[in-house]
Amino acid sequence: MEQVQKTEVIVTEGITKVYAADGIPVNALNGIDLTIQSGEFTAIVGPSGSGKTTFLNIISGLDSPTEGKVWLAGKVLSEMSGNELSDFRRDNIGFIFQAYNLIPVLTVEENVEYIMLLAGVPKAERHERVIAMLETVGLKGVADRTPTQLSGGQQQRVAIARAMVSEPTIILADEPTANLDSKTGADLLEMMHHLNLETGMTFIFSTHDPMVMESAQRLITLRDGRIDTDERK
Amino acid sequence: MILKIAFRNTFRQKRRTILTALAMIVGFTLLSLTIGLSDGVYGGVIEMFTRNRTGHIQVHREGYLDKPSLYKTIDNLSAVGEAIQGTAGVEAWTQRIYGAGLGSVGEKSTGVQIIGIDVAREIQATRFDNKVIEGNVLAEIAAHEAVIGKGLAKILSAEIGDEIVIVSQGADGSVANDVYKIVGIAESGDAITDRTACYLHIEDAQELFVLEGRAHEIVVIVSNINQVDKVTNTIKANLNDSTLDVSPWQVVAKSFYRAMKTDQQGDAISRLVIIFIVAMGILNTVLMSVLERTREYGVLKAVGTKPGQIFWLVVCEVVIIALASICIGALLGVLVNYLFSIYGITYPEEITFGGMKLKTMYAEVNVQSLYIPAIFVMLSAAIASLYPAIKAARIMPAKAMRTH
Repeated sequence: MEQVQKTEVIVTEGITKVYAADGIPVNALNGIDLTIQSGEFTAIVGPSGSGKTTFLNIISGLDSPTEGKVWLAGKVLSEMSGNELSDFRRDNIGFIFQAYNLIPVLTVEENVEYIMLLAGVPKAERHERVIAMLETVGLKGVADRTPTQLSGGQQQRVAIARAMVSEPTIILADEPTANLDSKTGADLLEMMHHLNLETGMTFIFSTHDPMVMESAQRLITLRDGRIDTDERK
Repeated sequence: MILKIAFRNTFRQKRRTILTALAMIVGFTLLSLTIGLSDGVYGGVIEMFTRNRTGHIQVHREGYLDKPSLYKTIDNLSAVGEAIQGTAGVEAWTQRIYGAGLGSVGEKSTGVQIIGIDVAREIQATRFDNKVIEGNVLAEIAAHEAVIGKGLAKILSAEIGDEIVIVSQGADGSVANDVYKIVGIAESGDAITDRTACYLHIEDAQELFVLEGRAHEIVVIVSNINQVDKVTNTIKANLNDSTLDVSPWQVVAKSFYRAMKTDQQGDAISRLVIIFIVAMGILNTVLMSVLERTREYGVLKAVGTKPGQIFWLVVCEVVIIALASICIGALLGVLVNYLFSIYGITYPEEITFGGMKLKTMYAEVNVQSLYIPAIFVMLSAAIASLYPAIKAARIMPAKAMRTH
């Protein structure tokens, strides 16, 4: 296995993804080579169908590329078994989804502690970290509520808390503000930016939101499955 | 946590849980009723057959059952009787003599099967009095009376009050002949028997065949038919006589027993059909419930839940519903079997089953009508959950999360 530099969190090499849509092959990604350094606050932008979500899915091991390799925290994702990949995601990647995707039958506290529980973190430590994390994301006092009892913005805060509580290497956020009003979206973005600066965690967004693009340190534009532009601010 | 999620999931989608549970409860109850009715009918037929004819256990001289003979008698009758009387689980017993002869009433003659019975004991053991459909039962003290089968009465054109002359051969080689007054007509439920049966008091029969103090057969009725084997062994041990055969009804009435077994196997096939239909119902509801939540499983997997944990999550959900369904199904199963054991199901027309006439089918409340459906529901739920569980475990998170 090739080793990447310590600061290179994600390295992709010739990533191609071909979907068969009704039997017709569709090229979602056409050979993407990209390196993301630790601590970067990166936004991947582009029109619908440009391959943003597919790219995020592939770099997180949620989907496999048709061709090419992904190194995440020094490991080649395609060489891992199903269980190894699950453990690797649990320990290294925090997800924030457009549709929040909280576990509906668990309370806010249980949702946030779920990943730590999978990782075998002791109960007392879990509780302590969950309470602290909920306070950080501004959700003090809602630990016992279920996701359906929260507003969209609150649910996304829970999702951020869940993504960050186990201190992963990177946070992948797929259109995190798309379902929120602009005020709530701005607040959350501000919070994530702050957490990025404070913890040094790597954030990668896929987004349409000009606000997210504005606040990103690095802006990668995809078009037709290729990197069109890659700007650092 | 997986168990907690599974448990809460079953309460979250109440309609889905109720649908799945309904499939299981209906399956359990149906199967329980099928078993209860089947066992009830077979139990009833066997009880009727053994009670009316063979008894539950019979004692003979060695080899009598295979090759009956006038000379193969139980000689130490009183000692054998005492040993049987003292055996735990014995409800009643009686003794019989069998012999063939020629029976004549007026100008008509035919071959008859003479059955010498201990009247008082026969009434107690095989309800002989119920079989007499016309006239009277034989007197309890030998009085040269005869009760003849319905078919025999027709063949001989005999009526109550007529005399029947029996000619046969005594055990000492002498010609045995005597006259008996017909006091009753009997119907045993078996037309073939009724065409030849001529019942005499055992003492009259012993006198006719010169077999004083001896009998060919001792019939034992046990208080619990399920204990037949145990009581048979106890009688064998108590008698401790190698010249005597002690046989349970399954041996005495081999062909009847075989017919029952064959019929029960036929029943097993209809049970399998019910099991298959219900299992398909369970598979369908479980599969639907998994497919409906593809996205959720995708999320669980995305955040680091292992495929194996997702597999157990699905299996646990189904098993939780199955356990609850088994409890409810067991209550319903007992209830319907209990109701049918009291009220029964009346056939539109009387049916003949193993030579027995049946009007009503009664169910039986027993352990197998509960544990067999319980095993079936649990197994089919577990098997039905396997495919959806594997499917959920193998889900590609990215693809699953695109599902709405």
